[in-house]
Amino acid sequence: MKRSFQHPPERLNGRKYWRSLEEQAASPEFREWLDREFPAGAAEMEADGVSRRNFLQLMGASIALAGFGMTGCRRPEGYLKPYSNSIEWVIPGKPLLYATAMPRRRGAMPLVVTTHEGRPTKIEGNPLHPASNGGTDVFAQISILDLYDPDRARPIRLDGQASTADALVAELAKLSQEIAADRGASFAVLAEENSSPTRARLRAELERRCPRLTWAEYEPLRGADEAAADAAAFGRRMRVRHRFAAADVVVSVGSDFLGCDEGGVEASRDFAGRRKDPSQGMNRLYVAEHRYTVTGGMADHRCRLRAGHLPAFTVALAKAVAAEIGNADLASFADGVRIEGTDPALDAAWIRGAAGDLASAKGRSLVVAGALLPGPVRLLVHAINGALGNVGRTLELVPSEALPAASIADLAARITSGGVKHLLLLGGNPAFNAPADLKWADLQKSVPNVIRLSLHEDESCAGARWKVPAAHYLESWGDALSADGTYLPVQPMIEPLHGGVSELQVLAVLAGLKFSTGPGLVRETFAARTGGTMDETKWTAFLRDGLLRDSAAKPVPTAFNGGAARAALGMLPPVPAPAADDAFEVVFVGDSKVDDGRYANNGWAQELPDPITRLTWDNAALVSPATAQKLGIQLDKRASGRTDTARIVRIEAGGAALELPVLVSPGHADHSITVALGYGRRTVGRVGAGVGFDAYPLRSAAAAFVASVAQVELLPESRVHKVAVTHGHWNMEGRDLFREGTLEEYQENPAFAKTMGMDGHIPPNVSLYKTPTLDMPEQWGMAIDLTVCTGCSACVVACQAENNIPIVGKEQVINQREMHWMRIDRYFASADPSTPDPEMVMQPVACMHCENAPCETVCPVNATVHSGDGMNVMVYNRCIGTRYCANNCPYKVRRFNYFDYNKRDVLGKWKPPVLGERSNLYKGPLGPLGMQTEETLKLQKNPNVTVRMRGVMEKCTFCVQRIESERITTRVKAGHSSDPAANLRMPTDAVKTACQQACPSEAIVFGDLRDPEGRVAKAKNNPRDYRMLEYLNVLPRLSYLARVRNPNPAMPDAATKGRINAKAHAAPGDSHGGQGEQGANGDHGNPGGPKADGPRGGGEKH
Amino acid sequence: MANIFPRWTNWLPIKVLICAGVAVTGLTGGVWYYFTPKYTRVGYMPSQPVPYSHALHVGQLGMDCRYCHSNVEVSSHANVPSTQTCMNCHAHVKAESPKLELVRKSYEQAIPIPWVKIHQVPDYAYFNHAVHVARGVSCVSCHGQINQMEVVWHDQPQSMGWCLDCHRAPENHLRPRDQVTNLDWKPIDSDDPKELAAAQLELGRKLKAEWHINPPENCAACHR
Repeated sequence: MKRSFQHPPERLNGRKYWRSLEEQAASPEFREWLDREFPAGAAEMEADGVSRRNFLQLMGASIALAGFGMTGCRRPEGYLKPYSNSIEWVIPGKPLLYATAMPRRRGAMPLVVTTHEGRPTKIEGNPLHPASNGGTDVFAQISILDLYDPDRARPIRLDGQASTADALVAELAKLSQEIAADRGASFAVLAEENSSPTRARLRAELERRCPRLTWAEYEPLRGADEAAADAAAFGRRMRVRHRFAAADVVVSVGSDFLGCDEGGVEASRDFAGRRKDPSQGMNRLYVAEHRYTVTGGMADHRCRLRAGHLPAFTVALAKAVAAEIGNADLASFADGVRIEGTDPALDAAWIRGAAGDLASAKGRSLVVAGALLPGPVRLLVHAINGALGNVGRTLELVPSEALPAASIADLAARITSGGVKHLLLLGGNPAFNAPADLKWADLQKSVPNVIRLSLHEDESCAGARWKVPAAHYLESWGDALSADGTYLPVQPMIEPLHGGVSELQVLAVLAGLKFSTGPGLVRETFAARTGGTMDETKWTAFLRDGLLRDSAAKPVPTAFNGGAARAALGMLPPVPAPAADDAFEVVFVGDSKVDDGRYANNGWAQELPDPITRLTWDNAALVSPATAQKLGIQLDKRASGRTDTARIVRIEAGGAALELPVLVSPGHADHSITVALGYGRRTVGRVGAGVGFDAYPLRSAAAAFVASVAQVELLPESRVHKVAVTHGHWNMEGRDLFREGTLEEYQENPAFAKTMGMDGHIPPNVSLYKTPTLDMPEQWGMAIDLTVCTGCSACVVACQAENNIPIVGKEQVINQREMHWMRIDRYFASADPSTPDPEMVMQPVACMHCENAPCETVCPVNATVHSGDGMNVMVYNRCIGTRYCANNCPYKVRRFNYFDYNKRDVLGKWKPPVLGERSNLYKGPLGPLGMQTEETLKLQKNPNVTVRMRGVMEKCTFCVQRIESERITTRVKAGHSSDPAANLRMPTDAVKTACQQACPSEAIVFGDLRDPEGRVAKAKNNPRDYRMLEYLNVLPRLSYLARVRNPNPAMPDAATKGRINAKAHAAPGDSHGGQGEQGANGDHGNPGGPKADGPRGGGEKH
Repeated sequence: MANIFPRWTNWLPIKVLICAGVAVTGLTGGVWYYFTPKYTRVGYMPSQPVPYSHALHVGQLGMDCRYCHSNVEVSSHANVPSTQTCMNCHAHVKAESPKLELVRKSYEQAIPIPWVKIHQVPDYAYFNHAVHVARGVSCVSCHGQINQMEVVWHDQPQSMGWCLDCHRAPENHLRPRDQVTNLDWKPIDSDDPKELAAAQLELGRKLKAEWHINPPENCAACHR
């Protein structure tokens, strides 16, 4: 455990601004003496018999004792302060792992949290959970920073004045009596969706006392008709679960199930599991969407169409499927879906191909509906699945424990009617994200007593009588259900940092129970769920494992209920007409980083580049290139390469207007504008306030996801906005970095990737430099499987959390100085760069740990060296900041600390006389201290990784701290055993890097190359394995497994899929002797080839 | 033209050079000697808030190092004992001693005793006690004869070069694992330093081979 030198308390060093020597000694006598304004000193002291001479002697002696004099010249003292009473299980220097769960919209995510000396530092997934492989997603990784956010609300406030927990509890108890008296008629609760059985139990208890209370739940990113549609199709209290592991053909209609939409870790894992090994056959993915998502990037076939046309698309798909399988019921059901407006033009051939594939895989196919689909369309998707026999196979129904709740619109109506006197807001942020037509902020003000429980002091706190800081899930007791129904505990690792209170505690008092600070409430629920009596052994196992084993909900054999569905079709309102062909639609989507706005104050979230747009610290209006041109943006003007300025567009929809920058997004549908929600927050903290543009005012309840635009207008060129986009950084000049092929190619030649590009004709490489001695028994290596990497960026944030990587702020990102050790390169791929339908691929890039590292040879001070186990090691204290290593790195994976990002203010700006606006970082040591110096943020830092200062180079270290930790553990075990020489090799696959552990698709494999049982050795032996820039002979230890796509030959665009790398050298008559027949994975142009030879668009960036 | 410079300035350049050379050499030598850890750290003996004597507790009473520094075999950090550990005995032994006033106060009020830190590894380097103790390196090799210290002082320079000296030649410091906390252990029963060194070398080489001791010399072992 690292300790920093502590200077002794001021009394030893105080030299300025002390008025007298006694002040430093601060004796009680002195204080008394000081209190008398004019101690007629001489008179009184003489009365005591102390002469001036004695006085000086005394003072001299006491000063020496107090540590003045010679001690002022000694080294500063540091202190070691042990616990006064040891704490159970805490061994300073060793981390403790606790299992818990993160409550999420669609089911909690099981987690294992690493804590050091009582403070959580890193979040991982829980591999013991059957639906998890230990992976997490972006939101779980960034949530730890929310715990330590210095802008969290505190303290408890009543009418703006600080109050105490006791006062709050007393008030809640009083309120509990009051609302019980009128049976809850004047009481309403607005909460977020939460699967917690304890909350359900407390809610039931509360409703028993107050049957007339209104319990409303609101989630901005949930479709309003989802629950109704599911209930009609499959019965009440049923939840749909997609089993991607069983699906050979998947069609996604507007669903980003691999990204932030629905599936969570399980969907990524299961989907990837069916693609990982092309030799065992691959599944096939069709995606119909209006903008590129990570799911669309994974797709084998993608249909690009406006979101407003998705309902018509689904109808056409249903009819095509019905025709293929000969099911007239389905066809007539599809006819029953009422869509207003005229039928749009759709790609009939595409739909037929997809339908054909679905039909050929009856019972092994799956159609997934996105959240933005209206209720009738969702019913239709259920009907398609029913007709294909998927229900019970790839689509399961499990009993849902969710209790029905009122909607926010219902609640708004009740408040308007004047009945509500007490409103409890549990989390959420309705003043920010409620549908605009409800005018929630004003509504809330009309309620006399609003009690708000929130993590930050946010927009919904305005006018609230009680503002209560909420306890983060890492510091509160609770429970949850994961998506498959397994019962999970939420256990705290740390006492609430700011006196926060959890939902359960508040509800308990309101329900007439005592205020509980421990696990009491959860224990009661646990006892009820495990047979009625409390079994301590089971409880301990529950907390230790992080789940109750075998408690997953059993699927219920159900069939699609055609009759009820038809009835519901009739009752649900018809699907509104899409915008006219020459008019625009605006589509509101949840952001992949700030979600619906809840993570806006999270620095990691803001700085993480969006997977598709690579945009940081902002949101923007996304349009297709064709639409951009139509609006008046001149695309060729941007060929100067500058990507940091964007024109501003003004959008009017839903009665409100929004001005925001516009980004051109390849692969986007025409006449469609995507705007991410969750930005433009007004009150949240220093990081998020004022960042981005708030799209919620345009969003009404009727048009929650897709709205017609009344007017869209590009503002004059004088109106520009600086955007921090990272895809222009570290350009790799379009070399054969990303390699892909089709399943056909792979089956012909599994090693197709090894001879692509320059690798097809490298002469044997001879190195001038001596390769370093690799004399240790373990040799580390990593392989990243591009077939399953979705680009979700969980690895990027996991690395940031594990390695104390700072955020740099928007201005520095514009200057290409973001510090992420791992970056995701997103490429659009097409033969013709101007095609509206490029493919999209993702490639994570981190330090390659080259054996012939070009960075090691150029360091003047030998700060970067090669270790005997194959890693390129960075020694921070030796680095003098020459940056020659970063210059020499062909992969551009080295990051330099241009400023002291861990100490100085990265968020603020100032205006120096000549230069224009600059961030406070440029003031250097004269600048203000940054937010990162707040004590709570220091708690998150991993103590096993050095925090780097200005002037030092850093890069991915293959998590050397984890490797060394495992090595030490192995040796200590050996040392304690009877034979210290045995078992000195680390166990197989014992070390997992942070990125590997976070990846839900298991795309990253790391381990000991010399261990034949290890996964990485097997990955390196995979014929798809290739290394980037092989011809440089740097011998990177990080290699890639080429991507294999599985296009359907029957589809119209099958010829162009996955063949971008083929024919890298197009010149016919190119004589490279002896290279005759090469097949589809050609590295030399075959003049007779059927495919279009175009420039390889692999480096497409805009 | 008259001579601008008087004759004695002819010798000036040489004199300046020689002076500069001597000054630089002196400065370098001074820094080399006085600024290295061997000079600046060795002998640092701060006074501790509680006058705890290792010579009494370890030397005389025979307590094992691990009774108080209990995590040294499992953790990177060899912990200073919590007040609870002190009170295990001192709740009964010398329960009223004025020297233990701070210990009692700490135990009652749950405030830590602010021991002054003597051995400091820089923040960018990471040292792990457990792996050294488990592999036969004794406390005495790095911390000196603690069992004879009334007040602990910094006995060894603990500079990187000093660490590397042992990492390159661990046979000079290896001993049987059960003797690691025996600070008076000698490889043979002798007082002659030459004989002791030879015996240590012989034993150390044997243990190094037997246990496959291979201390890392690459930077990543400590600089993470």
